[in-house]
Amino acid sequence: MSIAKLPFTVFVVDDEPLARNRLKELLADCNQQLPLDVVGEAGNGCEALDKLSATRADVVLVDIRMPQMDGIELAQHLNKLPLPPAIIFTTAFDAYAIRAFELHAVDYLLKPIRIGRLLDALIRARTSVPVRAEVLQEISTEPRKNLSVHERGKVYLIPIDEVLYLRAEMKYVTVRTAQREYLIEEALAALEKEFASRFVRIHRNCLVAKEQVAGFEKVSDDGSGETHWTVKLKNLDERLAISRRQQFVVKEFS
Amino acid sequence: MPKAQSINQNLAPYVLPNFRNMGVALRSLLLVNGIALLAAIFSASSWQGIAQYMVNFSALLQPILLLNLLALYIFNPMLARLSYLRGVGVILLLAATITLVVHHLSGAFYIVSTGIISTGEDGYFHLWRNATVSVAITALLLAYFRSRAQALSPALHEARLQALQARIRPHFLFNTINAVLGIVRADPKRAETALEDMADLFRMAMAHHSDLVAAHKEISLARQYLALEQMRLGERLKVSWHTQDLPDDVLIPPLILQPLLENAVYHGIEPLTAGGEINIKLYRKANEIHLDVHNPRQAQSDRHSGNKMALSNIRERLALQFDVEAKYTVAAGKNFYHVHIMLPYIKEEKNEHS
Repeated sequence: MSIAKLPFTVFVVDDEPLARNRLKELLADCNQQLPLDVVGEAGNGCEALDKLSATRADVVLVDIRMPQMDGIELAQHLNKLPLPPAIIFTTAFDAYAIRAFELHAVDYLLKPIRIGRLLDALIRARTSVPVRAEVLQEISTEPRKNLSVHERGKVYLIPIDEVLYLRAEMKYVTVRTAQREYLIEEALAALEKEFASRFVRIHRNCLVAKEQVAGFEKVSDDGSGETHWTVKLKNLDERLAISRRQQFVVKEFS
Repeated sequence: MPKAQSINQNLAPYVLPNFRNMGVALRSLLLVNGIALLAAIFSASSWQGIAQYMVNFSALLQPILLLNLLALYIFNPMLARLSYLRGVGVILLLAATITLVVHHLSGAFYIVSTGIISTGEDGYFHLWRNATVSVAITALLLAYFRSRAQALSPALHEARLQALQARIRPHFLFNTINAVLGIVRADPKRAETALEDMADLFRMAMAHHSDLVAAHKEISLARQYLALEQMRLGERLKVSWHTQDLPDDVLIPPLILQPLLENAVYHGIEPLTAGGEINIKLYRKANEIHLDVHNPRQAQSDRHSGNKMALSNIRERLALQFDVEAKYTVAAGKNFYHVHIMLPYIKEEKNEHS
């Protein structure tokens, strides 16, 4: 079976225009050995997500240190695309990330990038599988600033500070914002660990944003005569039940 | 070598302390009075006795001590020119002379106040005793300053090394080389300038530095540094300089300004998509030189703090070099970061090149 006749499509993400320029020049040089098309470029993660939802790329070269959304978070969101691109990280210097990449055998390039290295990485990327979400989460140094969900062919970002609560149901987690609900395919336990500073667990299946807690209310259970605590939210008229095991949360807050 | 280099008592322990430094004067005052207090405690036979003895000692001790410090302040530049041993000799001689003069002038008063009735040759005994004690205490103080310098000098060496590494931050080095590669085909002229700026920056960083350099040199170096960052960050980096109130002859420690700016770029500007403005202000106020760096920063920035090293290094060096005469303060708000440094105003001497 012959490897793709169509030229390889590449997308470049870096917040520095000159760094993007350099990469595009190198990619043009690669063209002789490996037919490829640079299908686009972006200066930040959000722009990259928008463009890559519309234009498919085989490989995305992603700078790690970028404002707003770092490269690792971008990769996590790109994984939500129906046909996730292969990702090659680039960095000038980031001792922590480099160690993590080595540990998990994730491909990366050191800036300034040599053409030989770039070619090798591109060739490898054609046959590689996307880096798994768990690995990306382990590599990242800080929690994501957004959750993401794939809907109608587009990746939507849900800024984490707009999330009121997260509730697990079956194999999905419901993400509730003041406006609406989203379903994401992630594990509640992993979310709890990643956003430990922002959310508190009030029930086996529910994490609530700490700053959304407006107060607590005791509610009597139907019929049985017993009572349980509920959380009142600031921006939503909904009561969330606190399980018996998590009742200490009420004390910690007041 | 500019005179001002003797401002600190470090690196070589065989250098006399700078007697014009407030920290040195303060330490001398405290130590001498501490010794006097010990002597009072030792001589006294009751609690009240301690105070009584202290009052008695002070009558002679304080004038001698203050006159000595004044003399050292005045003769400091001359002393600094002598070799260490000669300097020590002169200082001890000075201490003995001042003691004898003060004793002579206040002799009658002293004898009355201490309640010691002395006649004839006993007076010479007091003269001899006071001079000896005074010389011994002075020698003790000099020994203390020497051992302090000895203890601090490795720290200063270490600090220099760190400052060097702080200036050649790998993040900056590799990103800048990458940026130059990014323009070399399209705009070779600009790439040339950038490489020249980089060479200057690194030459300065790797030079063997004196303790103080001309402020205008540090400023022009900082401008070259910022030009390089501007090439990388484009419009995201805005800089505003205010140096009109800084005299031309100011000397400052090297590697102070640029690391502060690098910090401001790395933690302030880079994490902001739209960038921001770094505000740099240098000015003189009476006998102080003030240095202000103000930059915006991301509201909830919790980037790993690799920069703390550069900042604590600056703080450490200022403490070692100027003791209590320099101040370093940081004001960090929700979306700004402000570093303020106060230094003594040290002039470059015109007859010597720097």
